[in-house]
Amino acid sequence: MRIALKQIRFSGLLLLWLIALAIFAVWAPAFFSLANFTSILQFSTLLALVTLGQTFVILTGGGGIDLSVGGIVSLSGLFIAFLIKQGTPALAAGIAGVLFGGILGSINGLIITRLRLLPLIVTLGTYYAYNGLALALTGGAPISGLPTSFGIVGQNAVLSIPLHTLLLVLPIFLVMMFILAQTPLGRWIYAIGGNEKAARLVGLPVNTIRLGVYGLSGILAALAGLVADSWLLSARPNIGDNLELLSLTATLLAERASSAVRAVWLVHSLPYCSSPHSKLGSRC
Amino acid sequence: MNRKQWLLGRREVTLALACVAASVLFQFLSPYFLTGPNLITILRNSVELLLVSLGISFILATAGIDIAVGGALGICAIFVGWSVQGGWPLAAVLLIGPLIGTALGLVSAALIVWGKIPPIIATLGLFGVYRAAIFLLLGGSWISGLPDTLGPAVNTSIGGVPVVGVYVLLCYLVGWLIIRWLPLGPAILATGGNERAARLSGVPIGKTKFFVYGFTGLLVGFAAVLYVARYRNVETSTGGLVALDAIVASVLGGASVLGGKANLLGTMFGVLLVRLLQNGFVLMGAPSLWEQVITGFLLLVVLILDALAGNRRVNGSRLVTMP
Repeated sequence: MRIALKQIRFSGLLLLWLIALAIFAVWAPAFFSLANFTSILQFSTLLALVTLGQTFVILTGGGGIDLSVGGIVSLSGLFIAFLIKQGTPALAAGIAGVLFGGILGSINGLIITRLRLLPLIVTLGTYYAYNGLALALTGGAPISGLPTSFGIVGQNAVLSIPLHTLLLVLPIFLVMMFILAQTPLGRWIYAIGGNEKAARLVGLPVNTIRLGVYGLSGILAALAGLVADSWLLSARPNIGDNLELLSLTATLLAERASSAVRAVWLVHSLPYCSSPHSKLGSRC
Repeated sequence: MNRKQWLLGRREVTLALACVAASVLFQFLSPYFLTGPNLITILRNSVELLLVSLGISFILATAGIDIAVGGALGICAIFVGWSVQGGWPLAAVLLIGPLIGTALGLVSAALIVWGKIPPIIATLGLFGVYRAAIFLLLGGSWISGLPDTLGPAVNTSIGGVPVVGVYVLLCYLVGWLIIRWLPLGPAILATGGNERAARLSGVPIGKTKFFVYGFTGLLVGFAAVLYVARYRNVETSTGGLVALDAIVASVLGGASVLGGKANLLGTMFGVLLVRLLQNGFVLMGAPSLWEQVITGFLLLVVLILDALAGNRRVNGSRLVTMP
């Protein structure tokens, strides 16, 4: 953990973050209001979850990249909303949706590991397939009118911190940081990304782990879809648009999983500088 | 290898057979498919994609990729539209598209060569930038009702052959000459085949990449001119999915995303097959929203079939190298 802390302290990202904050302080003092803090966190959750999955995919190397995350967010969000509209209990629908996301992610992983195809081109294919399915199945219209009781996690905040940040993002990030820094699995992931050949020769289950990280990326994307549903009380076929690009930006900014969450906040706080409310308006 | 094996091993032949098979199937499902007007529609719909795919084939041959071509096409189309609206002379209108296209292509190349950013990341980022730029430039509304300035140069025919077809064939001829007869051709293939070895044997990698992205930009700009000439309006969605279609067509045509391969004739047939399938599904009554799904799955199916046929290289980590 001490090493991780050191990395954070010396990362240029923190510096970038502070510069951004300084600029906001001069140009948009409203940035530092408590309400804005809450809304940044509110918007960050989707990106934070997706970015975490993307980070694991990229860490395992082999040209790992997941362009289909946005499509998975949209599709699983729609799937959950559809199940709830059919009368499925919210909890069951949520679990089913997350599993569904895991399956979509595993499809990427299976094609990539079994057929040894480039992740880039495979997930480009599923990017269009998933995004296209989300649009085509709904005809572009959102599934709305979810029961307000479903919005508890998505719409409430404790001490100005949104509930889903407390219940999902923070615990998941802590668990994943622990896995990466303290467990053999974490070492294996770094080893595979660092030198695949050596990792294979030592006997690490390279393909299984790669399959796993794509599945994980799908699961986290589906959780993002769940949060979006709960927040907006409707599932939009394009809610995941651009998340692949944003998550790549955040991941490459972060470089290390330990500081990924900072990157997410940075990426999401930038738009607030110029137009504090336009982004809010465009999403709701 | 005897003649029969050679013939069946050629990608063009397989694709032509696939086109025929798909046509028969669609004719069975919809009586409108194999009619003159519909076949002409398919060919006309293929024109822009043929040009863009030619460029993408070159880029794939260097083991690169360009997701931003759709956005670049949109931006070129806007400028072409504005120049038509502004009453510019024909020659100037014909030039501005390719000029801007080339400039945008060189931007991609600069990011990739000088910025050392993996092509997928650089062009995905540029695609986002271009898409936003299109919205800003158009202000959300369409450029429509343009005068037929470009008509005389584009919408005519020479001896029954539409002049657009001649343009496309000329472009492919140039592409073939570059690959087959200029020193640039082997340089492109070597860059994609093994960049390190190519660099060590003195191939100017940077210049080669600048050429392929610039050349693609030129073709994209020209495609934008043809687009504006045909539809005489520019929407915010212009060019949207052309990158995926072009990649699918090139990969169908026998290009490898790992680089080192180019099959221009195959690319042509790949484009025809893509457009034929899209047209067929629409005739079967599938809403056009399904187009994206069909193309996405088509890409996956081709990749999987290729992989199963052993038409691949084992090391799968060349396109994107991450820290």
